[in-house]
Amino acid sequence: MAHALQMTDIVKSFDGRMALDRAEFCADWGEVHGLLGENGAGKTSLMNVLCGLYRPDAGRMSIDGVEHRIEGPSHARALGIGMVHQHFKLVQPFTIAENVMLANPQKSWRKGVATVSEGIARLSDELGFEIDPAARIDRISVAEQQRVEIVKVLMGGARLLILDEPTSVLTDEEAARLLRTIQALARRGACVILITHKLREVLAHADRVTVMRSGRTVATVAARGTSAADLARMMVGDAPVDDTEPGQSGPVRLEISDLTARRDDGVSTVRGLSLTVRSGQIYGLAGVGGNGQTELAEVLMGVRAPETGHIGLDGSDITALHPKRRRALGIRNVPADRSAYGLAQELSVGDNYASTRLGSGSFGTLAWVSRRTIGAQTSAALKDFEIQGAAVDTSVRLLSGGNAQKLVLARELHGEPAVIVAHSPTHGLDVRACAAVHDHLRAARDFGAAVLLISEDLDEVLNLSDVVGVINRGAIVGELGRPADRHRVGELMLGHA
Amino acid sequence: MPSRTLAVGRVSLEVRQGIELWLHGLIVLASIVVGLGVSVLLLVVSGIDVSNIFEEFIVFTFFDSAGLADVLLEWAPLILVGLSAAVAFRVQFWNIGIEGQFVWGAIGTTVVMIYDIGPGWIQIYLMFLGGIIGGMAWIAVPAFLRLRLQVNEIISTLLLNYIAALFVLNQLFGAWQDPAAVYYKTAQFADYQRLPLIGWGQIHVGLFIALAAALIVWLVTERSRFGAYMKFVGSNPGMALASGIPVTLTILVAVMLSGSLSGLGGYLVASGQEYALTIYVAIGYGFSGIVIAFLARNNPAAVVVVSFLMAGLYVGGESIQVFYGLPEALIGLIQSIIVICAVGSEFFVRYRVRWMR
Repeated sequence: MAHALQMTDIVKSFDGRMALDRAEFCADWGEVHGLLGENGAGKTSLMNVLCGLYRPDAGRMSIDGVEHRIEGPSHARALGIGMVHQHFKLVQPFTIAENVMLANPQKSWRKGVATVSEGIARLSDELGFEIDPAARIDRISVAEQQRVEIVKVLMGGARLLILDEPTSVLTDEEAARLLRTIQALARRGACVILITHKLREVLAHADRVTVMRSGRTVATVAARGTSAADLARMMVGDAPVDDTEPGQSGPVRLEISDLTARRDDGVSTVRGLSLTVRSGQIYGLAGVGGNGQTELAEVLMGVRAPETGHIGLDGSDITALHPKRRRALGIRNVPADRSAYGLAQELSVGDNYASTRLGSGSFGTLAWVSRRTIGAQTSAALKDFEIQGAAVDTSVRLLSGGNAQKLVLARELHGEPAVIVAHSPTHGLDVRACAAVHDHLRAARDFGAAVLLISEDLDEVLNLSDVVGVINRGAIVGELGRPADRHRVGELMLGHA
Repeated sequence: MPSRTLAVGRVSLEVRQGIELWLHGLIVLASIVVGLGVSVLLLVVSGIDVSNIFEEFIVFTFFDSAGLADVLLEWAPLILVGLSAAVAFRVQFWNIGIEGQFVWGAIGTTVVMIYDIGPGWIQIYLMFLGGIIGGMAWIAVPAFLRLRLQVNEIISTLLLNYIAALFVLNQLFGAWQDPAAVYYKTAQFADYQRLPLIGWGQIHVGLFIALAAALIVWLVTERSRFGAYMKFVGSNPGMALASGIPVTLTILVAVMLSGSLSGLGGYLVASGQEYALTIYVAIGYGFSGIVIAFLARNNPAAVVVVSFLMAGLYVGGESIQVFYGLPEALIGLIQSIIVICAVGSEFFVRYRVRWMR
């Protein structure tokens, strides 16, 4: 019998970086199929290809044995493929029924609302949860919003349902309920694909599991009879660690003790984190995304105030200092979200390069900023950092991801930084740009900087770091010297150890 | 990858990566012509003989000594409110309260006259300071509320307009009323309290004050370190903070500058045109300032040009109103149509529009 879904040799690249490299995927009706992998392994990309959001560069897809070229999201919908994205696509001030109707247009408004409400009631009854079709999206909980997304997709006639990290926003109890719902759907004959990086979840609720790593499919195994350790090993792989010289570490430079911080929505994400980084050392902080890395980086940048705890630099307390003072002391940041903290997109390359040193008088006086100095220094930096195809007055918005990141590095590594906080510095970059970024970080370390490398890319952490710390639920759960044992780090990251 | 092309029916919209200056100018000019065309159509529908409209609207406004003098007189306060809006918008502070600050500039000016502060010769300078202080004081409240308590400045500045206007009414119907006047206003300013005329129509030295302000604002925003800070704060506040730029201070100073420019506008009208505080002193200036700044893309040099055209639009509108005996509402309608067309041109600046087969 033909498989419900078969994807073969799917290739997809962005800006020369391979997101999917001959990936394979195969699922059947009536099963919950876990799709497991680290951040950036290609899980979401593969599913975006399936639901028509990305067009693959190469590869074949068949549903029930019939080959299809999916032209776009509406075509995928017509084939019965529905995806619930990690970030809900709901219109806040509209009611549940109206949102469902938006995705499944009806002929008349009033009759449509009635039809849709009826359908919602029937579906939620079958699936064993309650939602009120007349409730407004902004008045219901996140878990309920997710149910709306599921109902929306099912009402569109989806039989092949993809859920992208559905439990990441839920409490444990809500997650358990959702997973039971998913199993009920599968028993009714649907094929449910569950994208996740939580081992326990797939082992408990999936029938089969496909593991992906760096754009490729590693294996598809039955959940029963597979251990968490096996899955963790498949996820992190066995890539060899580079043989570069370790750093000559000096005295303690950056000291973080007992730090706690909250996210904007009030959830405490950094919980009692302590670590120290020495001069001439790269401290790699490994962890699955969303375990407090973002807030930690923001606290170190000085744009988020911590709840408790201290940050010390060479023995003096800098916890409360304004970013300007921190910069003066030599703390530099390579933020993960370039568009939020790294660069001003609408301004020029020269402006962005000069931004951090305007106040120090490097570029003219209070009354007169010397454009000539900015131009000359920026040109030199563009050359040093091999940022091709960009001029001093090019708008930053027009730079490729790699060039934009190199521009940030050129600015942040200028002079002699004491501390560099680099958060996912190679995210989205191609191989060449990655190597360049890594070389720059190593060079800065060799000059005596203390480098805190926060990354969700395990290979990067293992290759670069002199010490590897693992963050899980906002605290350090283990520290390993170089060379760090990949499987041990993987187990600590995935948190079942 | 998000697409940079959008299809609506048979029209495809493509986001432009950049635009040449001449094309940008051509698009704005074409849209103003469209606005004029629609306006003429409106007049024809109203049964007016429009054969002389071009002469009335353009020639008598810009190419006639008296007409041009009126335009230049109107130009000065429009430059100041345009600059005021541009400076605030540059740091993403949405100052909708220009009219209120303008009123308080006029109040600050008038206070010097009412209480006869200082010797006569110095009073015109004190009035200058009074205008600036009045405008700054009126924007200080929303600035504090926004920077300390995250109160939305759109609401607070807007509502303070009404408070300012009603305060003036209260004074003009009360303590400051000139009993000799026919309608509600203060006593006339004395000669030494007035801005000197330059001897062409009613034009007074306020025009030079406004042009000097434009030059200073241009130097500050385009050349000084503070101007560079403003660019970063306006473009990406998070990045500005992370780069070590004093974001709060930058916003505060820019906002105070905005308030003082509006206040200066009030000084110009009170001391240079009305020679008194009246209830009409600020009417319309607030929203004109916003439109000017928008069309000028917050660029001080462009504000000078756009406000000149805006002054021409007002003066031309008044002259056809008188010539054809049109109702004031119709003139307002025409002015709005032309401004909306100019504002709408932004769409074509941003997108390249193509027909698909």
